Amino acid sequence: MPQDHKNKRNSKDSNDEMIHLIDNLNRDDDLKYNRRAFLKSAVGASITLGLATLPFSAIALNREEDDTNRKMITQLKDLPKDSSMNFNYPTDDEPAILVHTKEGKLKAYNNKCTHLQCPVFYEKEESVLLCPCHRGFFSVDNGQPLAGPPQRELPLIELEVKDGVVYAVGRKVRHGE
Amino acid sequence: MQSEGKSAMVNKKYWIIIFLTLAVNVVMLQWTIESFYGEEYVHVWLYTAIGTTSSLVCFLTFWQWRKQEYRK
Repeated sequence: MPQDHKNKRNSKDSNDEMIHLIDNLNRDDDLKYNRRAFLKSAVGASITLGLATLPFSAIALNREEDDTNRKMITQLKDLPKDSSMNFNYPTDDEPAILVHTKEGKLKAYNNKCTHLQCPVFYEKEESVLLCPCHRGFFSVDNGQPLAGPPQRELPLIELEVKDGVVYAVGRKVRHGE
Repeated sequence: MQSEGKSAMVNKKYWIIIFLTLAVNVVMLQWTIESFYGEEYVHVWLYTAIGTTSSLVCFLTFWQWRKQEYRK
């Protein structure tokens, strides 16, 4: 009987008013959340994060080959100064805009706004690219955002003019000019 | 006593290395995703290589720590 009483008194969450000496100890938690377990979790997290980069490389390997995609856009004479036209590059699903600026320079960008992918237009009066959805402005010279919600630049399409024909020859998504 | 202190120092070294690899891997994953969406595939491979190496270092360090920690 005395032994019985003692056991009850020392059991976890006992209502025995005599002592609650073991209330601050929780053996299950001690086994689960300790220094060793903490380090093991850190190791698990580190390895998982490191290996999580692998799928991106695997996909990148498959996508690499479409680097030399050369496509005719238009005849230069069909595009007067201070005007623009739309085309698709590098695939038919990716719309782009070719601008012949007032200064006679040719600039081309994918014209999906980098905010919410609305189409971007050439605004003649201010010589900027405008996204009308949320009034985002991009520079015609380098595709960088000037005002409004967009934070990233428009993908730059590299051009080549040969015998009066404008070709798209490559694309840089992050060009940071 | 002296050997205990030395052992604690060695253990600390493991902890530091493991947490350094954790920090490196967080940054590598972030940069890999950034480069992937920027279509800078050379960078993607570079960051993946660094991330994988760092994971390997982490695992080997953990292995050493485990040996030391559970040694009786």
